[in-house]
Amino acid sequence: MNASIQAFGRRLAPQALPLAILVIVAAFALSEPAFLTPGNLVGIVRQVAITGIMAIAMTFVIMTGGIDLSVGPVLALSGVVTWFSLDAGVPLPLALGVGLALGIAIGMVNGVIVAFAGLPPIIVTLAMLSVVRGSALILGGPDLHSIRGQEAYSFIGSGSVFGIPVSVLIFAAVAIAMVFVQRATPLGLRVAAIGENERAATLSGHRTRLTKLSLYAISGLGAAIAGIVQSSQVHTASATYGEFGTELDVIAAVVLGGTSLMGGNGSIARTVMGVMFLGVMNNGMNILNVPLDIQLIAKGAIIVLSLALGELKS
Amino acid sequence: MDTPLIRGIGLGRTYGALTALADADFAVMPGEVRGLIGSNGAGKSTLIKILTGAVAPTSGSVEVKGETVRLGDPSEMIRRGVACIYQHSNLAPAMSVMDNIFLGRQPTGRFGRIDRRRQRADAQALMARHGITLDLDAAVGTLPTVKQKEVEILKALALDARVLLMDEPTGWLSAADVVRLHTTIRGLKADGVAIVYISHMLDEIFTVCDTMTIMRDGRVIAEAKVAEMTRPRVIELMVGEKLARDSAAAARVPRRPGGTGEVRLQVRDLTRTNVFRDVSFDLHAGEILCITGLIGSKRTELMHVLFGADRADSGTIEVDGRPVAFGSPREAMAGGIGFVPEDRHRDGLMLGLSMTENLVMATLSRFCRALLLDHRAIAARSTRSIAELAIQPPDGTKAVRLLSGGNQQKVLVGKWLNLGPRVLILDEPTVGVDVGAKAEIYAILRAERDKGAAILVVSSDLEEVMTLADRIAVMVAGRLVAIHDAEAVTMARVVDEIGGAA
Amino acid sequence: MTARSATLALLAFFVATLAFFWFAAPRFATAGNIENLMSGFSFVAILAIGQAFPILLRGIDLSIGAIVALAGMVAFDLVLILHWPGWLVIPAAILAATLAGALNGVLIVRLRLQPFIATLATLAAYRGLVYSISGRQLVPGLSTTPIRDPWITGLESYLDIAGTLGLSDLITLPWVPLSFFVMLAVLAGFQFMLGSTRFGRDLYTVGGNVEAARLAGIAVGRVTIVAYALSGFCAGVAALLLVARLTTATEALGTGMEMSAIAAAVIGGVSLSGGIGSLYGPVIGAFLLGTILIGLTLLGISQFVQQILTGGILLAAVAYDRVLFLRRQRRLTANLGEEA
Repeated sequence: MNASIQAFGRRLAPQALPLAILVIVAAFALSEPAFLTPGNLVGIVRQVAITGIMAIAMTFVIMTGGIDLSVGPVLALSGVVTWFSLDAGVPLPLALGVGLALGIAIGMVNGVIVAFAGLPPIIVTLAMLSVVRGSALILGGPDLHSIRGQEAYSFIGSGSVFGIPVSVLIFAAVAIAMVFVQRATPLGLRVAAIGENERAATLSGHRTRLTKLSLYAISGLGAAIAGIVQSSQVHTASATYGEFGTELDVIAAVVLGGTSLMGGNGSIARTVMGVMFLGVMNNGMNILNVPLDIQLIAKGAIIVLSLALGELKS
Repeated sequence: MDTPLIRGIGLGRTYGALTALADADFAVMPGEVRGLIGSNGAGKSTLIKILTGAVAPTSGSVEVKGETVRLGDPSEMIRRGVACIYQHSNLAPAMSVMDNIFLGRQPTGRFGRIDRRRQRADAQALMARHGITLDLDAAVGTLPTVKQKEVEILKALALDARVLLMDEPTGWLSAADVVRLHTTIRGLKADGVAIVYISHMLDEIFTVCDTMTIMRDGRVIAEAKVAEMTRPRVIELMVGEKLARDSAAAARVPRRPGGTGEVRLQVRDLTRTNVFRDVSFDLHAGEILCITGLIGSKRTELMHVLFGADRADSGTIEVDGRPVAFGSPREAMAGGIGFVPEDRHRDGLMLGLSMTENLVMATLSRFCRALLLDHRAIAARSTRSIAELAIQPPDGTKAVRLLSGGNQQKVLVGKWLNLGPRVLILDEPTVGVDVGAKAEIYAILRAERDKGAAILVVSSDLEEVMTLADRIAVMVAGRLVAIHDAEAVTMARVVDEIGGAA
Repeated sequence: MTARSATLALLAFFVATLAFFWFAAPRFATAGNIENLMSGFSFVAILAIGQAFPILLRGIDLSIGAIVALAGMVAFDLVLILHWPGWLVIPAAILAATLAGALNGVLIVRLRLQPFIATLATLAAYRGLVYSISGRQLVPGLSTTPIRDPWITGLESYLDIAGTLGLSDLITLPWVPLSFFVMLAVLAGFQFMLGSTRFGRDLYTVGGNVEAARLAGIAVGRVTIVAYALSGFCAGVAALLLVARLTTATEALGTGMEMSAIAAAVIGGVSLSGGIGSLYGPVIGAFLLGTILIGLTLLGISQFVQQILTGGILLAAVAYDRVLFLRRQRRLTANLGEEA
């Protein structure tokens, strides 16, 4: 009896996510026809683009058994720094470069401490969360800085090409690039190797620490891209953006995509699906006027459930 | 007196495709000391783990004093008076000796407060009774291993067990300590305790045991009174007629001590302080050199230094006449050394990844074209390896987790053969591998040897050593005590050398 | 005992830090400021004591901030909506927190979730629960009504030791907040349990070597659940102290407190590799953290810099923990080699 349930779970688990998305879309569509309009569907993707970019960038980190809790403040800091650069008259490409480089740099600091000093990622990035938030606040203060007269910059978050928002296009580009990295480059295999068995990877001659370092850099870069998209979308930069809980959404998306927090076993494509799942849930619950508190509880419950399902799988 | 104190009936345990124990019947009477012997992988440890409740069997049942017990629950077995001295330390390193002796069952008084005075008195009485002296307040982690072993022994004795299982209890112990332990065993026996004694040291079995159970390949092969047995007969039973057959086959495969004569690996006076010292040997192209010895004789540690995973404190290593000093496995691989580690699950394979991915894991950079993976070349390589090594099933996309132990091991060996190393080191290459796959792995290694590979095998399995080696080196307590041509040495001589100096 | 000497070293460092600010920071060495330190960080110390239990098991409890809010809101509702008497509200709120902690343990044991992810998920879920039971939103107008129950407001009282002893004319001693004594009681009770009872030994065993614990017949699952329940219990006590101080509870109560608690515990020598540490360490760690933060404020250093420093201190603490761990490992290998 128990065994057959387990076998059933094993067979179902890989397909659970797409199925769940379908079921939920159908349920929302039936109870609220407005849900299924093209405008709303594009809107959903636009809403999840920021979380999605970060989740995709963090997937590799989580696949190696790590975590990056510092993405929220990195998002804020990169927005603020880019704003300052623009405000100081720095040309747009350079300003974007500064913001992105900062994200990479913070990621590398995380990576060096985790990979080379061997400290636990959760504590390191929790500490970094505090450090980066403090730095962002020193730099930008607690105020909102509105971005004016930067048409090109605003285009990133608010513009659209052929009716598709640029932020959605950026999300798609990041997703496609990272799927490519995972499938077609040695890095994808090296990440899987570390996640499966770090000792064996080292004994196979892999430079595992260098690899891990680069993964935290990627996660930092993802947060920086998200920060730029967000600040351009809302026409303001603030050191308080990416508030506590942002990282939870990001991790939830990755975990929902079936990536195990114990490392190994993960895919960028499935993270994208996890992101979409959360987006559909949020949007649907908003349309149905589900109160915020229930949404929070539901999110926690869904993470626990999906993890328990993952446990059943192994 | 006819009811055994402990009895296993039809016990079996499988791990995936691997059968660790099959249909084993086992019983010990009160006051009986039963030796349990067999080569590595014969199923002894699995049997012990089932009897302590550490592992649940996949079939069969266990009775204590005639009552069937709940399986796979250590606390149930402890309650019924079954204790075990484990081969590997099962202590809490940061806690005191006293707490470890009474782990999980410290005597308590009011408010659940531990009665320290009674605990100390009990511990001291226990030490006095068994002639062991320890600092009760020292943290176990700060003690040398031999003292930790004594804590482990006291911990088991403190249970006042009716059944005492001992899994290699004398590893690490000095000769005097072994004598003392045997005195203790005789005392317990007089009290009617049933004792199971696992040891690789036949001397000890013949000294202290009344009866013996001999296991091979997960099965109980023979049971006998010690008085009615001779050493040669025991060895024959342990390794089976298979040895006769295999050694006949091995005899047909010409042994090639010295290989082609070309020295691939030269080790001189290699020393790692407190681990091994003054190790010197040559490994030639076209030969298989087996290094044998007891567990804990530091063979694996020596291999780790050769592979750059650890560093030597003095001495030299030369590959193809060039002195080398590897700082990491990566450098060792670049220097032409391949290493098949002992624990394939912990150190060797990525179990969740496919066979193909595992096969190219050590040679990824060779399959890159302009920063991208050349999937076609990888698939071709994998197909070739699978065919050459006859890996079953021949499906490269299958996760390694789903393969049998023997096929997993073949994947691991294949991964390192793909590197084309100048020197291939294998640490216990056939542990937990079934007989058929063993023979196949031997054939693979011999074929490589005949192609001119220099192969260094670490093995505790004498059957394997006698079958496979061109030359045999014996390591005892961190020293290489002898190197023989395999043709010119008998198994008995090697056995004596392995245990002799300990 | 190395653990004891580590605690003493920490104490010495604490005294040195205190001495530094005593002389360096203006208005640090005043009775009022010491009162602030004691009342402002006693609840952090209690949270750190609670956090020590999961960390001793190589786990972590990220949900304590949310549990603080939950217990606070339970107290708020019971007093202001249901008008329960304070002597009943206090155990009820602590019970709610303990159950929330126990649920963390159950998720970890039964669903075999990693502690970190289980408590991250409940962090969200408990915070959501707080919003949904929030009396501030269920009953309009309550949000401005202070809690006046004497049992609860009584927790925020100060004891004039100097006055009681008749010394007030001679010296000005700080009035000691009741919360400080609550903290001492929690410390004494749990340290007794950890150091002197079977359960305490079992906890160390599970944290030090799970397999050994299992083979010794220790109920590993039960120990784990109790450890997380204790973490919840401490969060409940801390919540009541906070509610007494604020005379209200908010939905955001306790946000980010897990960081201070974890930092204090790790600074206090509770090793992330499990099975090592006492409860004195986390308490000293909490007050060390408090001394530094208050001292820096008095030196005029911005709150934002303090945020950076908190992170820095946490990093330094885990780095130090790591160094100790590596040293232990080295000693272990040296011992292994001794007999070869």
